[in-house]
Order: sequence, then C-alpha cells, then structure tokens
Amino acid sequence: MRRLLVGAVAAIGAIAVLTIGGAAFGHSPSELLRILIAGSIGSPFALEGTIVKSIPLLLTGLSVAIAFRAGVWNIGAEGQFIVGAIAGFLAARFGLAAALLASIVAGAAWASIASLMRFWRNAPEVLTTILLNFVGFHLLGYAVNGPLQESSKQYPQSDAIPPAAALPAIDGVHAGIAIAVLLAIAAWILLYRTDEGLRLRATGFNASAAMWAGVNVNAQIARAMAISGGLAGLAGGIELLGVTHRLFERFAAGYGYSGIAVALLAQLHPLATLLSAFFFGALASGAGELQRSAGISSSIATLGQAIVILTVIGFGAFRARD
Amino acid sequence: MHAIDSILLAIVASTPLLLAVEGELVVQRSGIINLGIEGMMLAAAMTATLTHSLWGGILGAAAMAALFGFFAIVLKADQIVTGTAINLLALGLTGFVYREMQEAFARPLPHVDRDLIVPAAWIVLPIALAALLWRTMFGLRLRACGENPDVIGRQVPFYRWSALAIEAVLVGVAGSHLALVLSSGFAENMTAGRGFIALSIVIFGRWKLKGALLGTAVFGLAAAGQYALQAASIGLPFHLLLAVPYVVTLLILCGITGRVRAPEALGRP
Repeated sequence: MRRLLVGAVAAIGAIAVLTIGGAAFGHSPSELLRILIAGSIGSPFALEGTIVKSIPLLLTGLSVAIAFRAGVWNIGAEGQFIVGAIAGFLAARFGLAAALLASIVAGAAWASIASLMRFWRNAPEVLTTILLNFVGFHLLGYAVNGPLQESSKQYPQSDAIPPAAALPAIDGVHAGIAIAVLLAIAAWILLYRTDEGLRLRATGFNASAAMWAGVNVNAQIARAMAISGGLAGLAGGIELLGVTHRLFERFAAGYGYSGIAVALLAQLHPLATLLSAFFFGALASGAGELQRSAGISSSIATLGQAIVILTVIGFGAFRARD
Repeated sequence: MHAIDSILLAIVASTPLLLAVEGELVVQRSGIINLGIEGMMLAAAMTATLTHSLWGGILGAAAMAALFGFFAIVLKADQIVTGTAINLLALGLTGFVYREMQEAFARPLPHVDRDLIVPAAWIVLPIALAALLWRTMFGLRLRACGENPDVIGRQVPFYRWSALAIEAVLVGVAGSHLALVLSSGFAENMTAGRGFIALSIVIFGRWKLKGALLGTAVFGLAAAGQYALQAASIGLPFHLLLAVPYVVTLLILCGITGRVRAPEALGRP
C-alpha cells in the first residue's frame, strides 16, 4: 500500500513540477496540463499513441527491474534495444517469429558482453553497459548509412521490413502489447514463484549470503543480465516490427534509459511495471503534443522521468543495499 | 599535420575529460561513485554558454552536485540510481531550456585569447590535488571516508560534501571549457559520454593522479588517432570511427592488469 502511495506521489509530483515549472518560462500551468492530458489520454487517438509508446517502455522497464533485482547494474537497455532491432531487421526476411527471436538473442548477447568483461577483467557492468550503448548507437548509424541503407539511398534509414514480418495491429495498437503484458506476468512468476527467481532476488539482496546458501552467484548474475538484455532487445525488435518498420539513426529515442524510470516507479515489481509504463507512455505522448502544439521541447518527458526517480528514492523506497 | 601538432591537439581536446577524471577521483576517494558527472558537465556546458563565463559553468555543475549530494549523502539513497537520475535531469532540463531560450544561446561567444585551463589541468591540478589528498590531514581524512568511514564517524558528510564541491568546480570548468573553448557554445547532449569515460579512466588509473594523467593521455591519443584515420580516409566508415572512443574506453576498462583495489567503502552510504 505504501509502495503504491509513493508511486502515486512521485507520478503526480512530477506532473506538478513540470506544469508549475513551466510558469517560470511564461507558460500557463493549466494550459500545459490541458495539452499534456489531451495529448495522452484525451482522445481515442491520443490513447492509442500512449499505449503504443508504453509497449517498449514496459519491456525495457521489465528488463531493468530484473537486472536491478539481481543487483546487476544494467544501464545498457538503450544499446540492447538497438542491437535487438538491428537483428530483428536482419531476420525479418525469415518471418515474424524469426525476427522476434533474433532480437531477443541479440539483446541478450549484447548484454552478456558486459557480463564477460565483469567476470574476466573485473570491469564494472555499470560502466561497460553504458559504453556499449554508445557503441550500439554508432553501429546503427553505420548500418543505416552503409550496408542497411534503403535501396534508393536517399535517407539514412533502412528499407521497410517485409509486410509478412510486421506485427498485426488492431485499432492502431499492434500485437506487441500482448507479448509485453504476458512477459510482465511471466516476469512476476519468474521472480516470485520459481527457485530461479528466489536465487536471483537473493543474489541481489545480499550476494555473499546467497553464495553461502549455495547459489552460484556469477552464473546467477550472468543469467539475470542475459534475461534483462533479451527483454530490452525484444523491445527494440517489437518497436521495429510493430511501429517503425524501418531502422533509422534516432530509432531508440531513449526507450532504454526510460526503462530505468519505469522500473523504479514500479519499485522493481513486474506487475506494477504495467501501470508505470502506461504513465511514462502517457507522459511521452503528452510531451510530444506539447512540442507540436506549443513549441515546448519534448525533452520535458526526460525531465519528468528524473523527477519521478528522485521522488521515489527520496522516500527511501529504493535505499542502497549495504 | 605534424605528429607534435596532433599530440598537442589531443592534449587540448582531452582537457575537459582530464578535469572530470580529477574531480571524480576526489569524490571516489571519499567513498562516493558519482555517475551524475555526465549530467553535471552537461549542465555546466549550458550555464557557461548562457552566461559566457566560467563561473556560470561552475554554478551549473554545483547545482547538480548539490542535488546529488542531497540524495546520496543526506538521504543515503543509492548512488548509482541517484547519478542516473541526475543525468536524466540534466539531459531533460538542458533540452528544455535550450529550446525556450534560443536567442540567448545564439549570441556570439567571446574570443578566448589565452587558454590557461589546459596547463592548469595537466600540470598544476595533478600536483595540487595529490598534495591535498596525500600530504594534508584534510586529505587523509577524506580518503579515510572512502576506506573506513567508521573511523571518521559523524564528520563523514562534511568530507564527502567537500569532495563533491571540489568535483563540482572541476567539472564546472570542464563543461565550460568544452562549450566555450572547444566548441562554439552549447549543443544538446554535447558531453557525449565524457563523464562515463572519465569514470572508466579513474578505475584504469587505480584512483591515483598519475594513473589519471596516463589514462587520459592514452585515451586522448587514441581519440586523436581516430581523427587522423578520418583525415587519411583509409576507407573505414565515418560512423564506425565515431564508436572508436567508446571501444577504446571498453578496452581500457578491460586492460586493467593485476589486482585493482577500489576504495573499500566506495558506493556505501
């Protein structure tokens, strides 16, 4: 109950700070709020946009929640999202299932580079995962300017995926939502109803105690990282197959980093991630509308994420483990 | 271009990075991992461009550092999560302000005649910081906060805030130098991961100033090599070359040989 309250305060607080803060730059807070709501949940069309945006957020949020639960600092969802999309694009010619599978494998593999560096060279994953984001970003830049550029060679983007590989959509919302929601439930079962989840949480709670209790901590960390990377990679694949159908330089659009805010607002609970992803999806849609209709930078969505995280940790809901 | 020229250019270009490395080294010695250094530098780059002054840059970095310290030191929140939030905050805030105040950002920048920051960062500061950390009682206590804070007891917050203040000044100068001297003003997300590269170099340099200088120099030369490759146009695609600094940093992180001993209490609130 307290956790739900903290989440609500953080979400409402962020909206309050953003709208009232806008007054400092000569915008009317009530007008800002009106546009934010109209652009996110105010019409069936806006609601569709919000739901479509919350699908990748849900998956990257789950990715971060599982890693953080295991005490693994995977800040690399952004890069895993990108390589997942690239792999999905390459495999799309073999059909939808192959593309989805490829994006999971690629994301997991990309994240596992950080695991390998941690085990072999003692390199902290918090840094290697971040650095791999930049590598992934430039890799995508290379791909869409080079080998994967569209056949007409006009823009730095890829060709569209074959229609057969696209995720089917109903009323503008693609089938990725079913996959994402099922995975949220699966993540909950994994964490709270399986031995694997118990070991994973034990590792995150106190790694040395878990080791003494017989958990192979390194293997546990490697698996958590791979699962986390797989989810982020799938998010990228689903975004490609369901929404953009093409790769382009700014493809990731911060969805990976946003996953951190999604996971923390949900206080690392997989089912709460459903609500949290919807909130940030709405914030992103509302911010997009602010940019279009009021000329205000949509980066206030990022600002909102920061305020939410700070509020949540300010309440001590995510205190450091000693 | 002559080899000497390219080495000099590499040194000038990696000056903001070195300042960040020095600042992060000081806070990590006091037991804090400040991942928010990226956001501090970005905020400094913006406020320096708005005010056309070094002091403005320092103020921007200090504001972010104060927020970080409030959560990480006062509330004892997780440092990595706090740092990540600071980075998102700076990214969102600078993106917002940049669009709101476009005219203010478009004013022509003052010309810098003599760049004293480069020799300060490469010569004066390493000596001064090494003396402060290893030759004074203040430095000894600051380092004790990073190794065994129980010895210092109730004064730990004082030393950690002091370390954070030193970092804020250095990173503030770094952001200002980046925006005002090396670039023509602020651009969105212009720090491009320098803060994270700085953290990696602190580890590579084993939390020592000599290591910090060496690590930054290695990185700077590798980055200069990237420009040389670009200029030579040997066929490596431009976008892959852009990834080189990050790959080099990953290699630097993996190239740490032998036992690396971090400050014992690093990351513990």
